[in-house]
Amino acid sequence: MKPHAEIAEVWPRDGRVRLVGHIHGHPAEGQWRLLLTRRSHAEQRLDYPAQVKGDRFEGELPVADLAAATGTAEAEIGTGALVGVGAGVEEWDIHLTDGEVELRAGRRLDDIHGKKKIMVFPEQRVRGIGVRPYYTVKDNLSLECRTGAST
Amino acid sequence: MTIHQIGGRPKVRYLLLHAYGRGGTIRTVMNQANSLVQAGWQVELVSALRRRDDLQFPLDPRVKVTTVVDQREEAHTPPSGPLGRWQDWRRGRLTERPARHIPCGEFGYRYFNRYVEQRLIAYLSSLRDGVLVTTRPALNFLAAEHATGGVVRVAQEHMNHGTHKQDVRQRIRETYARFDAVAVLTERDREEYEQLLPGTRVVRIPNAVHSLDQVPSDHRSKIAVAAGRLFPQKGFDLLIPAWAKLVETYPDWQLRIYGSGEKKAELRELIEEHHLYNHVFLMGHTDRLDDELAKASFYVLSSRFEGLPMVMIEAMSHSLPVVSFDCPTGPSDVLTHGVDGLLVAPEDPDALADAMAKLMGDRALRADMGVAAVLTAASYGPDAVHPRWEALFRELHEVRELHDLHDLSDQRHRAAGASKGQRA
Repeated sequence: MKPHAEIAEVWPRDGRVRLVGHIHGHPAEGQWRLLLTRRSHAEQRLDYPAQVKGDRFEGELPVADLAAATGTAEAEIGTGALVGVGAGVEEWDIHLTDGEVELRAGRRLDDIHGKKKIMVFPEQRVRGIGVRPYYTVKDNLSLECRTGAST
Repeated sequence: MTIHQIGGRPKVRYLLLHAYGRGGTIRTVMNQANSLVQAGWQVELVSALRRRDDLQFPLDPRVKVTTVVDQREEAHTPPSGPLGRWQDWRRGRLTERPARHIPCGEFGYRYFNRYVEQRLIAYLSSLRDGVLVTTRPALNFLAAEHATGGVVRVAQEHMNHGTHKQDVRQRIRETYARFDAVAVLTERDREEYEQLLPGTRVVRIPNAVHSLDQVPSDHRSKIAVAAGRLFPQKGFDLLIPAWAKLVETYPDWQLRIYGSGEKKAELRELIEEHHLYNHVFLMGHTDRLDDELAKASFYVLSSRFEGLPMVMIEAMSHSLPVVSFDCPTGPSDVLTHGVDGLLVAPEDPDALADAMAKLMGDRALRADMGVAAVLTAASYGPDAVHPRWEALFRELHEVRELHDLHDLSDQRHRAAGASKGQRA
């Protein structure tokens, strides 16, 4: 199995998303940060400090940053995908990075298959944008930012 | 009839509301049918309705399956000719009219209408021989009144008596005495039905688990399992708040709830409200529940009521101890508190949480109770249960044949006496 950031807990509450897990298959020394990459605009990135003790990591991101970044980018690019045409969805992928490697966050070491439908997290709304962590079909952890009516 | 036919095996027909469904009754009846056919009996499953193409549980191919009313869309062929069109129109009319013989309080009432009733009555009236087993109150009522052509009749009750609505209980009192036997699942139910139906034979035969040859849990995992349809009877809305009380003390434990159903969105909301999205998982339906049970460390039953909870007994066959509400009926029939599980006050999440904490904190206790659970489950194995059905069917059949012989010789006596009288 490729090195990755194995997720144990995801806490979407109080305007933040806190992640807890451990670094799998890679030395854990050094300074690590949580890295968010917008899937449709890979150059657009956000990052936050992560605390690492042994191989355990913990970090959090404020939901408002994602909402702002998603909204601003739309305004700059002016595609209008998120305004005026109902619901739009933008996805951000989560990695853990020490500046050299980027370890994808995911939950791959347990026995539960099909996490996308089983480990489901609540949405938090900021300024009309809903942010929700979710597992992809490959059991990686990403964030979706959604405009329009809450579902 | 000659004497050497006595003691043979009658053909056994099971009448189910929907043999193509996925409920506990269907599963249980198929287990019974499989065992009987393997023991050399001739068995037929009769499905009152058919709404699906395929059976949902494994069934021995020697068991014949027939349908009384096929409700699949493609099963309806457009009518040809005036008679066909008239029959089709009449069928439509009858389908729109409500059932007349089924009380509204029967939980399956919505599946019945005049058309279904008439077709079932025609089928039941046509039966002349063998044993007919009807499997829910609505079907029992129809059989009591209309399966009068000579077939031996057995009414199965898969729910406890207290669960039935008033109008259903009334019909039970009025009609069940006509059965050759009424079969219930629990001791408490047997007592209730005996009081209700003096002089009627009431037998308690529990349902059997599909196998006792199961992989045992090693009680190391920090996983608790619950299973059942996601709707109010199963009480998962009580279980989730109970788990919320434990999550701080036992943060590395998971609760996995297997099943699908109409209350999924509400249960998901409850999980979110208690911030349990890292600890309580709605797993959906699985075809491999055996494997999932083997991975767990204990089983939880949070139901408001039950008949005889079979998945709980299956869990016990995997050496899982059980934490259960002492609801009517079933858990207290099966479990001995403190031996193979913990029985707590019904619908009390605090009590459920305390009992779960006791097992979570003590692996040795889980292992000890797990061994006792396997022993308890043994009396619900196919080999322990199915011979009891065989014995019952054989015996009822013999009684019927002897009875018929008596009638026959009485008639001969009367006929002989009459002719003598004439001569004298």
